Amino acid sequence: MYDKIFPPKKIALPNGKVVIEKRSPTPLILLLLLIGVYFSVQLTGFSLPVLFERWDQFFVIILDMIPPRWDYTSHIWQPLLDTIKMSLLGSVLGSLTAIPIAYLASNNIVKNRVIVGIARVFLSILRTMPTLVMALIATFIFGLGTLAGTVAIFLFTIAYVGKFLYEQIENVNMDAFEAMESLGMTRVQAFRYAIFPQVLPNYLSTSLFCFEGNVRYASILGYVGAGGIGLLLNEGLGWRDYSSVGMILFMLIITVFLIERVSEHFRKRLI
Amino acid sequence: MIEFINVEKTYGNQVKALQEINLTIEQGEFVAIIGLSGAGKSTLLRCINRMHDITGGQLIVDDVEVSSLKGREIREFRKRIGMIFQSFNLVTRTTVLKNVLVSLVPELPFWRRLTGIFSKEDKIKALSALDQVGILDKAYIRVSQLSGGQQQRVALARTLAQNPDIILADEPIASLDPVTSKQVMDDFKRINEEMNISVIINIHHVEVALEYADRIIGIRDGKVVFDGKSEEVTDEILDNIYKGQMEKKTMIEDKEE
Amino acid sequence: MDTIEKQLKVAPKNRRYIIVVTTILLFLFVWSLTALSFENMQESGWSIAASILTGIINPDLELLLSFTSQGVPYLLVETIAIAFLGTIIGAIMAVPLAFLSASNIVPAPVAWLTRLFLIMVRTVPSLVYGLMLIRVTGPGPFAGILTIALVSIGMLSKLFVDAIEDLDIGVLESMTSIGCTTFEKIRYGIIPQLFSMFLSIVIYRFDMNLREASILGLVGAGGIGAPLIFAMNAYRWNEVGSILIGLVILILIVEIYSNKIRGKLVRG
Repeated sequence: MYDKIFPPKKIALPNGKVVIEKRSPTPLILLLLLIGVYFSVQLTGFSLPVLFERWDQFFVIILDMIPPRWDYTSHIWQPLLDTIKMSLLGSVLGSLTAIPIAYLASNNIVKNRVIVGIARVFLSILRTMPTLVMALIATFIFGLGTLAGTVAIFLFTIAYVGKFLYEQIENVNMDAFEAMESLGMTRVQAFRYAIFPQVLPNYLSTSLFCFEGNVRYASILGYVGAGGIGLLLNEGLGWRDYSSVGMILFMLIITVFLIERVSEHFRKRLI
Repeated sequence: MIEFINVEKTYGNQVKALQEINLTIEQGEFVAIIGLSGAGKSTLLRCINRMHDITGGQLIVDDVEVSSLKGREIREFRKRIGMIFQSFNLVTRTTVLKNVLVSLVPELPFWRRLTGIFSKEDKIKALSALDQVGILDKAYIRVSQLSGGQQQRVALARTLAQNPDIILADEPIASLDPVTSKQVMDDFKRINEEMNISVIINIHHVEVALEYADRIIGIRDGKVVFDGKSEEVTDEILDNIYKGQMEKKTMIEDKEE
Repeated sequence: MDTIEKQLKVAPKNRRYIIVVTTILLFLFVWSLTALSFENMQESGWSIAASILTGIINPDLELLLSFTSQGVPYLLVETIAIAFLGTIIGAIMAVPLAFLSASNIVPAPVAWLTRLFLIMVRTVPSLVYGLMLIRVTGPGPFAGILTIALVSIGMLSKLFVDAIEDLDIGVLESMTSIGCTTFEKIRYGIIPQLFSMFLSIVIYRFDMNLREASILGLVGAGGIGAPLIFAMNAYRWNEVGSILIGLVILILIVEIYSNKIRGKLVRG
């Protein structure tokens, strides 16, 4: 298609040989990108002058956060622990639920294409839904509070771990599976003993990685009333109580950092 | 013509990598330098295009005193000397042609150097170089998709596009299998004979060296212990080059790299 | 025999380790169960769930297909524009930070400090940036762009650093032998190596930013999030349905294409 619009160029060498050089798509891509930037700027009202004039406002807020309000710590503990509990619970349940769904979505194990298709579409739709939107819907169904947040994280974890797991399962060496099936095991049993051990380390590592990310996501879920530390952040920012916000962020950063370190330690051991 | 007169190379902590080197290499010679790894082969080669500085004596390439060159002069000087490496040293993520064109970059006007847009003449130069090593059909393929032998030929084409008088090759076939090694060595031989380019090659495959080179230089512990025609090389000479002082080998090896 | 004996010695140790870790995990799991409270859950929940489902099955087609500035297509384009500009700005800011945190380029303390800074930037939730930036630009998509830029920096620099630390230095040696200047070595030795990797990383991040941009409306930073939350709060479920359908389709399409392009970039 592209070659027809921009026909390849012929280069003749002194010794008579001819080389055909395809036109580089780079200039066209650059042009399209520039057009994209131009229209995006028009559409969103992006303005460099405003940015240059008022960027310092951002740092005014940050400076207001320093020093953080240390005595606010006592208010933070409970919601912070809630946030961690929500993400832990959602991640554990989500990664466990992901196993049967990933099983159904692997086309080398389940031969029924309809089931595979349904499982995959289900995972895709779950994955595309932003976590916050899921949390918002969950608050309508499960009421305000940590339950809604846990459900949102649970669903996101299924989608993330599920997709990763079925891709892993499909790339696995099938010899052992076939051998065990020929020994008279059922497909599920053969899966349990032949395939699961092969994908287990990666599965655990992905689940841990997902948990890391979930702690970060969970911290904003409170914004839509789904429990955790987000509610306090929202209040603090709304009342312009920046020193409290600073304290919350400070504790959040330390928590996330510690969780990342621990999880990274275990992930390195796994692989 | 390359002349070494009492050349000496000492690394910082008094390690003598080269000493009392006296050699004359005429234009158009095919020379193989053999010796144990760590004997100083690589250092000797890299002194010629001033990738290493010598610490004593004189090194003269085509009437130019190499150690007297400065900054810009060094870069000008290097344009006439091509170099081939064991690990090919190509940008594997771009096409073969772009890799060859790199050797023309120093000659380009600034805007072309900045944008990387090459003129048709330059492309023809690069393509002709690829034709000379027989991989013209691979010009628009990414280097990462080529075999090791083909990659070494790309490196050779890059050097040829530079239009050099001398090609220095540092273990060019060490990472290749015997069949592709032979093809690459045939390329070197042909280039040497047809274009009268001097080829100086570091190599640890003695049989290959004897088969292709006109002249062999044996190095041991930073000194030239043999210099003569390939036909003159006997088993005793090889023993002297390689086994002369076996016990010292490990020591020097540690120090050089 | 030797290896079998070794295995025998290794096995119990490993098992004890697994038991300890599992126990800790179980303990944490039970502990986290205490966060759940079902008291806020009302009977009405299930009927709401049912109406959400009906809303998604019977979307407001007029909204879904209308090309006015209230219609879903317009809002989606605005969301794309926010993610697009935000990703570009974020990528531009991430490049110098990545070089500053690459341990093979700058001294260790500088790299370490930059990394610490990046962790901090990464941990602050996007909505917090959104609320802060609204004070700079006023509500609207402009604030959204800056937010997306800030949240992208952390991950982008981290992935850029991996690419930088994988650089093949051998090319530079051969360029020295050709007689290239430092500028030429960077332009023809380093940039070609990094460019396709960086581009692939940026496209991946754009994919994520699209999701990110779709929620920024919740704090008034433009995009499709604000109409979504208004429709929800007003219980107009068929509007919610049409917005969600539009969003899911868009994100899926972008994901498929971005995967294709990235595959091409990395494998050639």
